[in-house]
Amino acid sequence: MARSAKTFQVTIRNSGQTIACTTDRTILQAAIAAGIDYPYACATGNCATCVSKLEEGKVSLLPHSDAALGKAQLKSGLTLACRARPRSDVTVNWLARAGG
Amino acid sequence: MALPTDVAARRARACKTFLEQAHAATAAEGINPSTLHAIKLKLVAFAKRTELFPLADFAMPEAQARNHPLLVEDNDGYGLYLTISLPGKEAAPHDHGIWCANAAISGRERHVFYRRTDDGKQNGHAIVVKVGEVVVEPGTGIVMADHDIHSTEVVGDRPAIGLSLYGYALARFPSVTWFHPEYSSVRATPSRRHAA
Repeated sequence: MARSAKTFQVTIRNSGQTIACTTDRTILQAAIAAGIDYPYACATGNCATCVSKLEEGKVSLLPHSDAALGKAQLKSGLTLACRARPRSDVTVNWLARAGG
Repeated sequence: MALPTDVAARRARACKTFLEQAHAATAAEGINPSTLHAIKLKLVAFAKRTELFPLADFAMPEAQARNHPLLVEDNDGYGLYLTISLPGKEAAPHDHGIWCANAAISGRERHVFYRRTDDGKQNGHAIVVKVGEVVVEPGTGIVMADHDIHSTEVVGDRPAIGLSLYGYALARFPSVTWFHPEYSSVRATPSRRHAA
C-alpha cells in the first residue's frame, strides 16, 4: 500500500512567504501553485535558473545534470528548487532572477 | 588489443572526419530538412562505432547527466558531444534555438515532440501540444531544426549514452526556450552568444 505524502513547511526567504509542500512535490511546484514568482526555466534540473541556497532543513533531489548542480555546489549548501522535495521543514533563498 | 591512447587518437581523428563530413553535407545547400537528415544518418553511423567510445574513457555523471566534449569548433562552429544520462533523467519540452542531431550508442531515451499553438503574444505564456514520439536506441537517432520542441526521458534501467551534434557549441548556445504544459508557461535561459 502506498504511503501518503507528508507535508512540510517551506519558507522562501526572498518572498517572505511560508507555504505547505508535500513530500511528493518539488519546492518549485509548491511555490508556483502558491502564486510565488520563483525563478525557473527548465524545471527539470538542467539549467540552474532556480538554484537556491538551502538555509535550513533537508531535501531529496530528483535526477538533474552535473551542469546544473555539481557535487561541490551541493556540498556548499545549494539546491535546485525544481528537483528538491522537502524531507523536513526547510528555508530556501533563490539566487537568480529568471529570464524569459 | 588497442591501447587506450590509440583509441583516443583514433576517436579524435574520427570526430574530425565526421565534422568535415557534416560541413560537407551543408556546404552546398546550407541547413534545411534534407541536409539535417543527411547529418543525422552520418551521426547514427558514427555512433555505431562503439569501439571508439569505451565507457572507461568517459566519467559517469556526478549527478544524473553529463556532456563530454568530443570536438568543439572555434567561434560559430559545431559542437560534438558524448552525452550520458542515467535512468530517471528527464528534460521538459524545449527548443535549443539551434539545430541538433542525436544518435544512441547504448541505452534508450524517449523523445516527445511538440508544436506550439498559441500566438506568443502573452509574455511567459505558451501552449504546446504533443505531435509525436520516438525512442532513440542504438541504430537510430533524431534531428531537430532550431525551434523544434522536444522533451526527453531516459527509458529503462540503463544509462542512455549517445552522440549529440549541435549547430553551436553548448558554451555559445542561444537562448533555450522551455515549455511547461502543466502551467501553460514558457521560460527562457539567457543566450550565451556573447561568449563567442
